[in-house]
Parts: sequence; structure tokens; C-alpha cells
Amino acid sequence: MHRFLRLSVLLMGLFAAVGSYAVDAPQSEPVDPGIEGSAIDKSAKEKSDSGGSALSTWESKYFGLGSEGEDDNVGPAVEQPIEFPHFRHAGDADKGGMEINCMYCHTYARRSLVAGIPPVQKCIGCHQNIESVRDKPRIKKLFEYWDAKKAIPWKKVHDLPDFVRFSHERHVKRFIFQLNRPVQEVCGYCHGEVKTMTVARRQKLLSMGFCVTCHEKDHPVTAEGGTPIGDQAYWYSMRKPLIDASGIIKAKGPNDCSVCHK
Amino acid sequence: MSISTLLENYSEFRHFHPVDDVPHNPYKWAMSIDLDACSGCNACSVACYAENNLPVVGREKYLHGQAMHWMRIERYWDEDGREFPDQGAQFLPMMCQQCEAAPCETVCPVGATNHTPDGINSQIYNRCIGSRYCSANCPYKVRYFNWYDYPTTDNVWPAEMNQQLNPDVTVRGKGVMEKCTFCIQRVTVAKNNAKSEGRLVHDGEVQTACQQACPTSAISFGNLVDPESRVHKQWQVQKVELDKDAQTKDKEEGGSDLRGYRILEELRPYPSVMYLERVRETAI
Repeated sequence: MHRFLRLSVLLMGLFAAVGSYAVDAPQSEPVDPGIEGSAIDKSAKEKSDSGGSALSTWESKYFGLGSEGEDDNVGPAVEQPIEFPHFRHAGDADKGGMEINCMYCHTYARRSLVAGIPPVQKCIGCHQNIESVRDKPRIKKLFEYWDAKKAIPWKKVHDLPDFVRFSHERHVKRFIFQLNRPVQEVCGYCHGEVKTMTVARRQKLLSMGFCVTCHEKDHPVTAEGGTPIGDQAYWYSMRKPLIDASGIIKAKGPNDCSVCHK
Repeated sequence: MSISTLLENYSEFRHFHPVDDVPHNPYKWAMSIDLDACSGCNACSVACYAENNLPVVGREKYLHGQAMHWMRIERYWDEDGREFPDQGAQFLPMMCQQCEAAPCETVCPVGATNHTPDGINSQIYNRCIGSRYCSANCPYKVRYFNWYDYPTTDNVWPAEMNQQLNPDVTVRGKGVMEKCTFCIQRVTVAKNNAKSEGRLVHDGEVQTACQQACPTSAISFGNLVDPESRVHKQWQVQKVELDKDAQTKDKEEGGSDLRGYRILEELRPYPSVMYLERVRETAI
């Protein structure tokens, strides 16, 4: 009798848990003003509504394995003091963008741990010569900060936990300078399609699993047009390089815990 | 591994670093401490507290043996009949010996402590579940456990004091084991700079906090693989070898001119810290 009672209590608990999860589930859908390409989220929603296999949803959520632009794992919409139009500055020319190099503004990315937020001076440097947009509300706001001699209190969008050490410098040096890949593609590995966004928003999970999926891949050690590797010192932290059939030397990223965890 | 192997020749099967196909190249961080120069002033310990966000636990917890001093000065009183003010003592700075065959690594159930390719016994705090096996298995007793949630405990880092915490080192929470890391945050910075310039880390480019604070330069830290480094030269002069459990000094009959030794070497953890025996008379 006692055992039967225990079982029934357990079952009731289970049903209650499942029920409450089902009630909560639709509410956890992300709401998203601020992303220019909201088609991304629409397609993601449609996918989850149509009840795609649970595993594939889970995979795309945690590893970004879904096809391009189907991640439903966007970060929270961060309200910035000025709605900075990334798509206008960095976007493709045929979509009205300027195709400005990411590192023109985020200038510390190539030489420091953090990419950095540009000072107001950098914005003004260009915008004082651009008369055509001077009376736009965002630009007016920008000049208000400039005249008041105050920094713009931008908020952090891509925030890693305190126990993680991530170096922009290493990744920029590796992929942009060593492998000679386009800047926006390389930044997009972790930051997503910022060039289509207004206010930047986290598109990738940036979890350990996310990092490891890339560190587990064989990347060519150097590429045509990239800076050649002079010394062994460059890639000692990579794992033992392999030479594949076509003669290209490939190596995996560092996988030592203490490289990223501090 | 059969039980007979285990009993007869376990040392042959015991795993230690460097593993065959991954030699210590280009780095193996090591230290040497000159006990003749050490005056027991505790500056190294204080520097370590500042560098590594160590909580100051207070008298009561200290008496319970819960102090978090990664770098501690062990004191051995001279037993020559003299009373306290005149009694001499010997001092020995003791911290994690970064063993090559670390006893702590093999017992961690979650792999939170493991060996880096450059010979540091790393401790990954957010991986640690607090089983404390590593501490139990450590022959040097240099692992410290967070029995309390120090970031929120009174008097550890009162407001404003938390401004002096080192952002490069995690502030450990309750239930996490911690230990000396050879200031891995400084090593990482040095290696990063060197890599960007396409060279190896120069000797002296990276200093540990204890080394930096030592007024008598008793501590030296560097790359044991680099033949030009101070540490390598000291180890070489003292004929101390990393992968031996008995050194030339021990084999010489009737005393030796060599001063270098490693603590509890006979247990075969192959520690990375060499101590230089004291020559002078006891300080009073």
C-alpha cells in the first residue's frame, strides 16, 4: 500500500511538471524589435510551430546547426541609447550599406582581448562631414552627446561569463590575417549577421559547446595570401597538425581547459 | 592492468608528463626557490593574496585550518634549547608544486584539474564540483577548499575593496577547490604577446606575483626547456632532473656540495619546484 501511494505521488508530480512546462513553453518565444531581418525569427517560429523534430530544434538551439539564419537562439533585445544602424554602416552596398570594415570602429579587436566600442569622436570624425543626414533624429542625438562632452552609454550585447577568457586578437589574427578570410565573415562566426541588423543582437549561443564545435574542426594552418607562419611559436597551442592527402597542413584549435577558463 | 602489475611495477605504468608524443615544447614552466635567501618575510604570500583574489578568512577560520593561502611560509623552529626570542627558525615557502605526475589529477572525478601542455597543473574552477579528493591525495597539502561563499561573506571584500580584485582571475564561489596556478593569467598574457610577435616568451618576461614581491629574489620562475633561462641554469647546476625520483645529490656519499632538492621526491609526483638548501646559520 505504502509503495503504491509513493508511485501515485511520483506520477502526479510528473504530470504536473509536464503540464506546467507545456503552459510555459509558448511564452518563452523571443520577442524581437530591433533586428532588421526579422524574417530570421519568423522562419524560426514557423519551424518550431510546425513541430520540427525535437532533436533538430535542440541542435539548432544549442549548436547553431540549423541552416543559415534559422537560429532561434537570439539574445535579448538590448535597448541602446542610440539605435545604431549596423546595416547602414557595415551592410552590403546593394542593400544601402557602406561596407565599412568592422575593425574601422571596433578597432581594438586586432590587438586586444576586447573588440572595443568606438569613442564619440570616431562617430563625429565622419559625421561632421556628412551634411545629408545631419537632421536625422539619431544623428541629432549623437551631436547632443558630442556637445555635452559625454560618452554614449552603450550597453554590452555579447557578454561572456566572468570565468571565460576570450581573445579577439587571437581569432582576428588567425582567421583574417593568417587565413586571409573576409572580415565580415570572420566576425560573423560568433556575432552573426550584424550587417543586417540595426541594434546588434546576439545571434549565436556563445556557450562552451558553441566554441568547441569550431575548435574541434581541422582548419588549414595557413592559406594563400595569408601571412605565412614564421616560427613554431605561432601555433604551439594548436593540437598536433596533420597533413591531409592534398598536402594542406591542418590543425585543430587549442582544447586545453586553461586556455579559455581562468 | 592486472593486480600483479599494480603491486609489482606500478611505476612503469603510471602516467606522467610529458606523454610520449607531446613533449614539453616549447614551454615547461618551473620554479626554483633559494632557501638561503628566504628570510620568511611573507611578502610572497601577501602578493599572492592580492594577485589571485584570495579571501582573508579571519582568525577564527584560520584556527580551523581554513586559511586560503596558496603561498604559505612553513616555519620550523630550531630545537637547540634556546627560548623564543632567541630561538632560530627555518622558513620554507610552500605552494602547489605543479607535479608532472600529479596525484590530484588522477583522482578528480570530473577532470577539473589537469595538466596543460606547458606543464602547469591547471584548476578549472567552474568545472569543480567540490569532491575534495584532490586535496586528500595531495602530498603537499596545498589545495584549499572554499567552505564559505567568500564573495558574499562579511569582511572579505567589503564594498570598494572589491574594486581591487583581479579581473583576470575568477572569484571562486562556495564548494570550489583552488590552488596556486603559477600565475597562469600572467603566463597567458606573456604567451599571447610572444605569439603575436612570432617568437617565444623570453626569460624574465613573465614573473609570478610571489617572485615579483620577493625582496631577496629568492624565487625564480621560467621556462625549463629554454637553455638560456635562469631556472634551467639553476636546475642544471644543481643536477636536478625533472623526470628522476632521486638526484645526483642523494647518491653522493658523505654529503654533497649540491644544494638543489625537491620535496617528497621519493613519492614520485615529479614536482616542478626545486628548493635550494640553506647554507647560512639560522637567523634569529
